[in-house]
Amino acid sequence: MGEGAAMKGGFRFVVRQTLAVIVGAIFIYAGALKLLDPLRFATDITNYHILPWPVAVRFAFYLPWLELLCGLALIFHRLFAGALLLTGGMMMVFIAASIAARARGINVSCGCFGSASHSLSFAGHLALDFALLAILFFLWFATSAERRA
Amino acid sequence: MRVSLVRQLLLLLGLAFLPAIGQAIYYRQTTPWEKQPADPAAVSLTTAENWGPAVLWVDARPDEDFARGHIPGAVQLNEDRWQDLLRGMLVIWAPERKVVVYCSQRSCNASHEVAERLRKEVGLTNIYVLQGGWEEWEKARR
Repeated sequence: MGEGAAMKGGFRFVVRQTLAVIVGAIFIYAGALKLLDPLRFATDITNYHILPWPVAVRFAFYLPWLELLCGLALIFHRLFAGALLLTGGMMMVFIAASIAARARGINVSCGCFGSASHSLSFAGHLALDFALLAILFFLWFATSAERRA
Repeated sequence: MRVSLVRQLLLLLGLAFLPAIGQAIYYRQTTPWEKQPADPAAVSLTTAENWGPAVLWVDARPDEDFARGHIPGAVQLNEDRWQDLLRGMLVIWAPERKVVVYCSQRSCNASHEVAERLRKEVGLTNIYVLQGGWEEWEKARR
């Protein structure tokens, strides 16, 4: 009984760690791509018609580093809860902005994964974003449950 | 727990500032901080129309928008079905033709994306982006 519970706990731990590393790596990749071309990212932000250029260009220098840092935090399990909350928040803002842009008839390129995301349609992007968000929620609740136990 | 979480958030938000400020200082001379740079490949509707039959119009909007209406003679090329549509576009493309890509309106960037891919991936030259896009075309026809 004790051994079975330990194995189950160990399996859950491996699943959580694996998912955290996958999501962390995705955020590092996305952040690194944007770091290489901040002006391109600023243009992508402006295309959503939510922020003016002077704000967008400042965000374009800041957000990629935040993504990178959160990705590292998820992988190395440091500042984990904070990183989960920030990445989840960024994903929700991004999903809302994408849907709002689409509803206004604006064909936006999210700029999330540089040229690697060119082959993804809007639905594909959205599916990927919701999948990432679902994993972040899972990690948040799994970690909270573990802390309570 | 709550204090710890707030502390983690502030730490992450603050730590990200340091390299961001460093990068911004490094690029301070070459970054247009207050005004978005104009696209040198952007072309007005009047200019494009003056090019006459030399223009190859490329519609970068989604399939449903193209089906609702498009510039006469335009070929469709969007990122959703890039490989399929590119073949059709290249059939009627010729080196001497000026390719003018358009999307829905001034704010959309599908035309910029398609234009960039045509330049970088396909290696075409004479690629332009229509200022104002389909919206501008419709306005001129009213």
